[in-house]
Amino acid sequence: MITRKTLHRALGLGGHYTGLIVFALFTTFPFLWALSSGLSADASRMYQFPAGFWPQDMSLVWFERVFQEMPFTTYLKNSALLSLFTILGVVAVSVLAGYPLARMKFPGRGLIFVAIIATMMLPSEVGIVPNFITLKHFGDAADALQGALGLGPDWSLRGWVGLDSYFGAMAPNFAGAFGIFLMKQAFEAIPQDLIDAARVDGASEMQILWKVMVPVTTPSLAALAIFTLVGAWNDYLWPSIVLTSKDKLPLAVGVFNDLTGPFATSDNILMAAIVLTIVPVLVFFACTQRYFISGLDGAVK
Amino acid sequence: MKSHNYTATAYLFLAPALILLGIFTFWPVGFNTYLAFHDYAIADGVTTWNDFAHFKYIYDESLFHSALKNSLLYLLVVPCIQLAALLMAKLVNNKLPGMTFFRATYYIPVITAISVAGVAWAFVYKYDGMLNGFLGWVGHALGLLASPEVQIDWLGNPDIAIFSVMAFTFWKGLGYYMVLYLAGLQAIPAEVEEAAILDGANAWDRFWKITVPMVKPTILLCTLLSTIGAMKAFQEVIVLSKGQADTYTALYYVFDQAFRNYNFGRAAAAGLVVTFFCMMLAIVQFRFFGDRK
Repeated sequence: MITRKTLHRALGLGGHYTGLIVFALFTTFPFLWALSSGLSADASRMYQFPAGFWPQDMSLVWFERVFQEMPFTTYLKNSALLSLFTILGVVAVSVLAGYPLARMKFPGRGLIFVAIIATMMLPSEVGIVPNFITLKHFGDAADALQGALGLGPDWSLRGWVGLDSYFGAMAPNFAGAFGIFLMKQAFEAIPQDLIDAARVDGASEMQILWKVMVPVTTPSLAALAIFTLVGAWNDYLWPSIVLTSKDKLPLAVGVFNDLTGPFATSDNILMAAIVLTIVPVLVFFACTQRYFISGLDGAVK
Repeated sequence: MKSHNYTATAYLFLAPALILLGIFTFWPVGFNTYLAFHDYAIADGVTTWNDFAHFKYIYDESLFHSALKNSLLYLLVVPCIQLAALLMAKLVNNKLPGMTFFRATYYIPVITAISVAGVAWAFVYKYDGMLNGFLGWVGHALGLLASPEVQIDWLGNPDIAIFSVMAFTFWKGLGYYMVLYLAGLQAIPAEVEEAAILDGANAWDRFWKITVPMVKPTILLCTLLSTIGAMKAFQEVIVLSKGQADTYTALYYVFDQAFRNYNFGRAAAAGLVVTFFCMMLAIVQFRFFGDRK
């Protein structure tokens, strides 16, 4: 009787893990294949199953050639820069907007909150054309300002705010319903006593926000920063439209253009480049993955 | 006086968000609607009223029709992804060893750039790519095929290309919905399931009669998100097939009209139609799932 029960359990467990492994293979096989192809000096068996999944004549030669044939480090630098400033922008905007929505009473609060949440329903892609035109106007305005201030041609203010600028690639992402909502939820969970005590001590709203609210909501801030980082690092469409100079492109755009463009000489270099692009994200994810699960947890409820 | 000041402070805090949202989110909605009814001259930005010409044009154009049809066909990915994600979440929602590893593994496609993942999948789908290699090997091993050579043009054959692109969406989104479902599942008290086991309910019954009803709010959220996602699908198309072989989707049409034909007005009109469809789908779903309260 006991043995039969144990056998049943073992079978169930075996089935369970088989399911888990099948899903795991499904989600990772393109990367495993890219890794083994990138490591193979012998490209002839790359498209054969199962040989393609094992490095043939292992070497790092394709990885070296990625750095020789592609401005990989420039892309990497751009991605880092864009992600960093997007995080700063998103966190600042979301913290500032989340606080009054959560803890202050003022006319128009409900309306503003509904309007912000309603933006989640809009297909953001539809904004691409108007935003493109807006940035063009920003560039023209910057030119006019430059003329009015009498600055020399060396200044190129257009390059700071118009099309083909880092600012243009980031700014539409600064204010997002997700970030504002996440911070509002976090601020609402803080006990009122803490705020009242600070008010009695004569703290201004800014001091309450900065000295009381922000320090106790670090888990939410971390979750927001991480989600923003992943989003910014992987953002493809908008940067690919706004940024046109090759030396300003982030990884997701630059590597894609190079991989699908005329440069594409050998499939193995492409595979090595794919691996190199994914590795920074994977390392980062491995260090912070518990926030991904718990951070969303709070946002759902 | 004090309350006046207080309100001003609140709005001061909200100002950056409201200004940015105003410029980059609300203004585009209005401007897009305006553009849809006008001709836009890209050189000088002059707009002229054109008497619904864009809407008349796309109403008659077969390319836009097939784009809309493909976008609606794309909705087939929604039930597949929901069921698989819920199953996935069910598999990792326990305290057995290795669950952290599996959860992280399932999330990897979500944190990969769509462009880079797309290149990898283009290699999988190639005429002489990995998928054909794999199918040939399986077929040969099972004795179904004489030689391990399969030649299916996954992204070039108009009958199957759209499904290949959908499979990519499925792969990319699975982990995201898994995490949402996991959060929903963890809110179910363990006693409920234990009681059902004692009553002798099998795994199938427990799944449909306990798990599914209890995560219904999450199902609504996920279905809504993935329906809108499917309706908006087009980055997948850009990176995989460039709209060839009958893979034009509605938003790909918008994108193509705007940045290849530089017809911003027509793109805006088509975008408006897509927005309308998204709204309709959202309303239908709220009616359909939202009756529990």
